[in-house]
Amino acid sequence: MVLALLVTILGFATLIFVQQAASPPLIYGAYYAGTLLVLYLGVRVLLPHSDVLLLPIVTLLTGLGLVMIFRLTYDVEGAQKLALTQAVWILIGSGAMFLLVLFFRNYDRIFDYKYLLAIAAVFLIASTFTPLGYTVNGARLWVDLGPVNFQPSEFARIALVVFFAGYLAEKRDVMAATSRSFLGVELPAIKYFGPVALVWAASLGLLVFEKDLGSSLLFFAVPLLMLYAATGRTAYVLLGGVLFSVGSFVAFLLFEHVQLRVQSWLDPWRDPDGTGFQILQSIFNIADGGLLGTGLGAGFAQTIPEVETDFVFSAIASELGLLGATAVLLAFLAFTYRGTKIALLAEDDASKLLAFGLTAMFALQTLVIVGGVTKAIPLTGITLPFVSYGGSSVVGNFLLTGLLLLVSERAGRREAEGLAYKDGRRGPP
Amino acid sequence: MNAHLRRTFYLFVAGFTGLVMMLAYWQVYSREALANNPENGFQTQRSISSPRGLILAGDGETVLAKSVKRPTPRGPVYDRVYPLGTPFSNVVGYWSTRYGATGIEISNNSDLSSVVGEPETLDDLINRATGGPQPGNNVVLTIDPGLQKLAYQELSASSTGRGAVVALNPKTGEILAMATSPSFDANEVDENYPELANAEDAPLVDRGTQSLYPPGSVFKVITAAAALEVGVSPEQHFFDSGAYELPGYTVHNFEGKDFGDVTFTRALAYSINVVFAKIAVNIVGAQRLTDMALNFGFGDPYDDFPLPVSGSSVNSLPPEKWTTGTLAQTGFGQGEVQTNAFEMALVAAAIGNDGKLMEPRIVREVRSPDGIILDKPTPSVRRQALPPDTAETLNEMMQQVIIQGGLTDAEIEGMKVAGKTGTAESGNGEPHSWWITFAPADDPKIAMCVMIENGGRADKGALPIAARLMKAYLVDGV
Repeated sequence: MVLALLVTILGFATLIFVQQAASPPLIYGAYYAGTLLVLYLGVRVLLPHSDVLLLPIVTLLTGLGLVMIFRLTYDVEGAQKLALTQAVWILIGSGAMFLLVLFFRNYDRIFDYKYLLAIAAVFLIASTFTPLGYTVNGARLWVDLGPVNFQPSEFARIALVVFFAGYLAEKRDVMAATSRSFLGVELPAIKYFGPVALVWAASLGLLVFEKDLGSSLLFFAVPLLMLYAATGRTAYVLLGGVLFSVGSFVAFLLFEHVQLRVQSWLDPWRDPDGTGFQILQSIFNIADGGLLGTGLGAGFAQTIPEVETDFVFSAIASELGLLGATAVLLAFLAFTYRGTKIALLAEDDASKLLAFGLTAMFALQTLVIVGGVTKAIPLTGITLPFVSYGGSSVVGNFLLTGLLLLVSERAGRREAEGLAYKDGRRGPP
Repeated sequence: MNAHLRRTFYLFVAGFTGLVMMLAYWQVYSREALANNPENGFQTQRSISSPRGLILAGDGETVLAKSVKRPTPRGPVYDRVYPLGTPFSNVVGYWSTRYGATGIEISNNSDLSSVVGEPETLDDLINRATGGPQPGNNVVLTIDPGLQKLAYQELSASSTGRGAVVALNPKTGEILAMATSPSFDANEVDENYPELANAEDAPLVDRGTQSLYPPGSVFKVITAAAALEVGVSPEQHFFDSGAYELPGYTVHNFEGKDFGDVTFTRALAYSINVVFAKIAVNIVGAQRLTDMALNFGFGDPYDDFPLPVSGSSVNSLPPEKWTTGTLAQTGFGQGEVQTNAFEMALVAAAIGNDGKLMEPRIVREVRSPDGIILDKPTPSVRRQALPPDTAETLNEMMQQVIIQGGLTDAEIEGMKVAGKTGTAESGNGEPHSWWITFAPADDPKIAMCVMIENGGRADKGALPIAARLMKAYLVDGV
């Protein structure tokens, strides 16, 4: 924890030194450090048996995000306050997480409301179609709630993971059972699969029509992975794969924006100043970083449109180099590892699936956006968890971490109380 | 179920590994190719987004070039500014993202530009580790800012406004002034480049280093040096009949004069073409004359000098193929002899410095932004052009050029001055006006060559300008 804060402070100190910036970074740097330290201590008191590494990683990532956002926007007309806004969002996220940890120590209760949560999630996503919703960069993802604008899909995701965890934990045995086969592939009973498919389709459909490719991908893949984890049936994965291919192909044919994305991925050079501009600038910046990076403040990442949100990783790769970027990826992997471990140690199926679903979402989101900006896969606009600028994303990810901590607390306490460790392997027959 | 969780986790690990490999591909494998991609403007941007080092004059304080920060919507950029403008532009050069770079700006680019290379001081290392835009190192020149400015003013106010001044310290080789006219303002290159490049009077060309002219009689010091080496004494008598007939060519004196019986010293003082033609043909010969010119640096392009220099030449043919006419003309600096103020200033300096031609230098030292000296070349002898005793004799003869020649303008009170005039047939309009000089002759602090293109008689064109500059430097201390 101390290490994470030190890294962040060093980052800010570098920026101040390098850019002769005035004191603001110091003030909100201190304020940020204070917030997260209090949060950390609070969580240690409230959940003494919870995972010790998650919050330091979150601190490191949000701190790095703050440094990068500050570096990228402090001298940009009209965006100087972005880092400050982000710091406020981190505070709100920390607060939300603290409340979650405080009031939902018996988190099982939320599984009782899983259907309600699912409906709420669908409504959240649908809310962007109300007059309150509006469009940014061609995707209708935003809802204007007077003082704040937020991206409902960031929260809907978590609600859906909770729903799937609750539902699958209940039905996983029956769903694993084969009722009929089709073309040699054994298919589960439609009766049990129904609600899953329904919620899945509803959220996916909405997202596709909102033109939010990144979230669509997550909404599709995370339940699929949870389904696989719950039932252990590769049939689901295969089916999912087929559906994904068909869906992608249909989307490609139907939507111009999908075609553009794929085209600028396959051949950005065709229109280097237009559709290919963003990804090419990203690649140039990443290449510019080399092994050790240009150093904070010495890169040109500001040439990338949306650099402080979706493309923040390109800026990191550019200024911290291959070594720094790899270190950041390792931090994400460490979070994923702890999340998986929490899932492994969790006592009951619902907790397991919850922890796993949240972890998978976190990991996939990272893979999809980093893969996108490095041109490994077509670009889909989602945020890099904790690092990218974006209030909803930050708050959402803090809630995700809170849930993981809650799950880990229970397992940790059980272990601490000396109860016999139970593997919980009650997989399909 | 845990096995499935683990399997999925391995999948994620594979994904992250893939990302690192992807990064390595971009950042290591195809880095070079991407950096040089025409769509990638970072190299240009980097060159303007970090400050270049200062270029300072010889006093270590006068700023000749600096980078000035200007905020833009895409982050700050640095503009190159030349506070003293035109008089220094031929030396300092310009740094343009559109038209390239010249002068010290390009010759010492690796010092001036930031980053690249290994860190050289602890401060540098810290700066790099923290990654700020590091200013480049500062380059301190040997140029005397006052003398340079005055030299440019004199040249632009001369009869044709076209000419060059090169002055140096004979003992160290440090260039004190290197002025040319007409010149250009490095601050306005981006706006005016096409116009400057096509201008008829070629303001982008340094007339003191990059152009070549017939030297006329200033070349006689080289003929004289060769003659002294062969054994001619300053007191030896020669007869000038006013003309010297050779197969296919007759030598006449300047303005058709004849001087009768003269000593060698007087022949130099009066700059008698007939006597020097006879000495070249009958005593020195083509080979020894050529060798002496090469000793003084003819044929040398001075590749290690930071600024481009056109090498001087004696003749396009090897000495053994010269006709006697060629030899006679070469003896008094006509024919095919081509040189410039840079070379002739070095000739004067070498004579004044006991025959030692010092390595000409224009960069005194390179300093890190915090003032630590990174590079400071020491004076070195480039060539022993003349044995010291011959140099001393020639020095004495050049003092007599002023005394016996009655060039009172060139005298400086309280010190001995040596010099030699040149009024060179240009084949195109008025003759070029030359004057080489050094003073104090017994312990020279400055050697100078002034050349005025089509400036007419030496004593009316180049000499008065040089005299004012010499006095300003030696007496008034500009």
